[in-house]
Amino acid sequence: MRLSTRVAALCAGLLVSHHAAAAELPQRWVSAGGALSEWVSALGGESKLVGVDTTSQHPESLKALPSIGYQRQLSAEGILSLRPQILVGTEEMGPPPVISQIRTAGVQVELFSAQPDLPTLHANLQHLGKLLGAEDKAAQLFQGYQQQLDQQKVRVTHAQLTQPSPGVLVLLGHAGGKPLIAGKDTAADWLIQKAGGHNLATHTGYKPFSNESLISLDPEVLVFADRALTGEAARAALFKENPILSSTRAAKDGRVMELDPTLLVGGLGPRLPEALKKISDGFYPGTAAQ
Amino acid sequence: MTVLVKPRVLFIGLSLLCLLAIWLSLALGPVSLPLLDTLRAALRMIGLPFAPDGLEQAELILGQIRLPRTLLGLAVGGVLALSGVAMQGLFRNPLADPGLVGVSGGAALGAAIAIVGGSAFGGLPEFLGPYLLSLCAFLGGLGVTAMVYRLGRRNGQTDVATMLLAGLALTALAGSIVGLFTYLADDTTLRTLTFWNLGSLNGASYSRLWPLLLISASVALWLPRRAKALNALLLGESEAGHLGIDVEKLKRELVFCTALGVGAAVAAAGMIGFVGLVVPHLVRLLAGPDHRVLLPASVLAGASLLLFADLVARLALAPAELPIGIVTAMIGAPVFLYLLLRGRA
Repeated sequence: MRLSTRVAALCAGLLVSHHAAAAELPQRWVSAGGALSEWVSALGGESKLVGVDTTSQHPESLKALPSIGYQRQLSAEGILSLRPQILVGTEEMGPPPVISQIRTAGVQVELFSAQPDLPTLHANLQHLGKLLGAEDKAAQLFQGYQQQLDQQKVRVTHAQLTQPSPGVLVLLGHAGGKPLIAGKDTAADWLIQKAGGHNLATHTGYKPFSNESLISLDPEVLVFADRALTGEAARAALFKENPILSSTRAAKDGRVMELDPTLLVGGLGPRLPEALKKISDGFYPGTAAQ
Repeated sequence: MTVLVKPRVLFIGLSLLCLLAIWLSLALGPVSLPLLDTLRAALRMIGLPFAPDGLEQAELILGQIRLPRTLLGLAVGGVLALSGVAMQGLFRNPLADPGLVGVSGGAALGAAIAIVGGSAFGGLPEFLGPYLLSLCAFLGGLGVTAMVYRLGRRNGQTDVATMLLAGLALTALAGSIVGLFTYLADDTTLRTLTFWNLGSLNGASYSRLWPLLLISASVALWLPRRAKALNALLLGESEAGHLGIDVEKLKRELVFCTALGVGAAVAAAGMIGFVGLVVPHLVRLLAGPDHRVLLPASVLAGASLLLFADLVARLALAPAELPIGIVTAMIGAPVFLYLLLRGRA
């Protein structure tokens, strides 16, 4: 008797809270930010998305949704025409007058930080989880994420006992031509560090580089991110457009790796640990599969 | 040059065109509002009592989004075209464009400083923050134009040819500094800068609108008073002088009005090319070179062109939107070429 009343009370409580939450939670979402859209999907909210910005390229199915344009160049009426209940985006979302127009129209606007660190991700996931009614899932995802990054850290420290940390350059290009080199304060720099390499470039931001300085730095590993091509085609285009690269140590040792450029946009995304692992495999050959 | 269209016909035609542009600009957008709702919301906004049920959304979109945007388009289009006429009159060359006296280059420089170096102005008072970009663009345009004008003056005379070359040189210099800022910019500020250079009427709000409306209205009221003097200037500077025109004063006014008008337009909507060059040219092809017709007709034509271009900008890719500078060039250039080639045949 006591047990069954408890169960009944619990069920009723669950039902009520579930109903109340479902009534308040926004059901039509517009997301402006690649990593955010990915997390919304990962938290099971993909069916609620009615529009995304141009940086939301993953998962593949998001490309079929109406595009609201670039996140800093949004159109108030365009977004309102999708009849959203909530607009989520990074703090870079703008222009500011448009955001306030959208707010005035009664759309809930939620801003998220794109800072690439775990506390920020934790806060963002909690926030998203609450908005989607998927707090448990969010906590679970974050735990898994943290675990993967912890493992990554252990692995890197371990590997560095036997192998030196390689000097790396990250080349960001379009069909091979005139790549920009990722310097300090970039997502690429953060990625390289976490994967256990050290960035040879010392400037800040993404800057063009002269061939000579590229050679003089003599990277042990080259990581390229191409916005137009992928795989072998991107690698071939890179070396065809910049023949000087083939004389680097990295090219001679065959340590040239690819990185998905969409990983570098808008904070920590769900695909990041996987990518980190792959890059570490390249940085420390023979230490994989732990 | 022959007159293809009588002034009265031209004015009636352009006024109707402009009214049509205004109506379409208020009635069309990515959110499809029923025509009746738009009308009722419009009537409610001018104070007529209409049942407010279900009209909040229509009223908001009309009053807070489309109306300020339409007003911005009217003012920017009108003042850009007007400045084009002033410059073509000043340089006595139909290929002159407001950029020649350095106002666009200077505004771009001001904008680059604000966008890339914006964070360096950290200690700015709160209320200035949102207007920093507009203010810098406006001051940059005025500043460079003032320098061009100073460089063009010698012995109390303004030499138009020197001014033209000084304008080119300073625009190039400003361009190189913008290039430097581009180099220093990170990815996101770079994109902001790029988009700013393509112009947009997006995000128009009343607080940004009033300064521009005030300036463009004063320029639009002032310049037509100088139509006769501009006509005389067409004959040549000394000829105009002999006809009793204070040529120095006229030049000063033309440069000042252009710097003020284009500076304010650019500050409010970013760089929108092409309107200042082509609209006066088009009107001249239709109605001849008389500035008494040319000045007011260009205002109407420029405003209409910009509103139509903005319609394309906001509808073509909805719910995203195109920068309007792309559209003005895409609509305007072929029309311009067609008229030029037809005139030759």
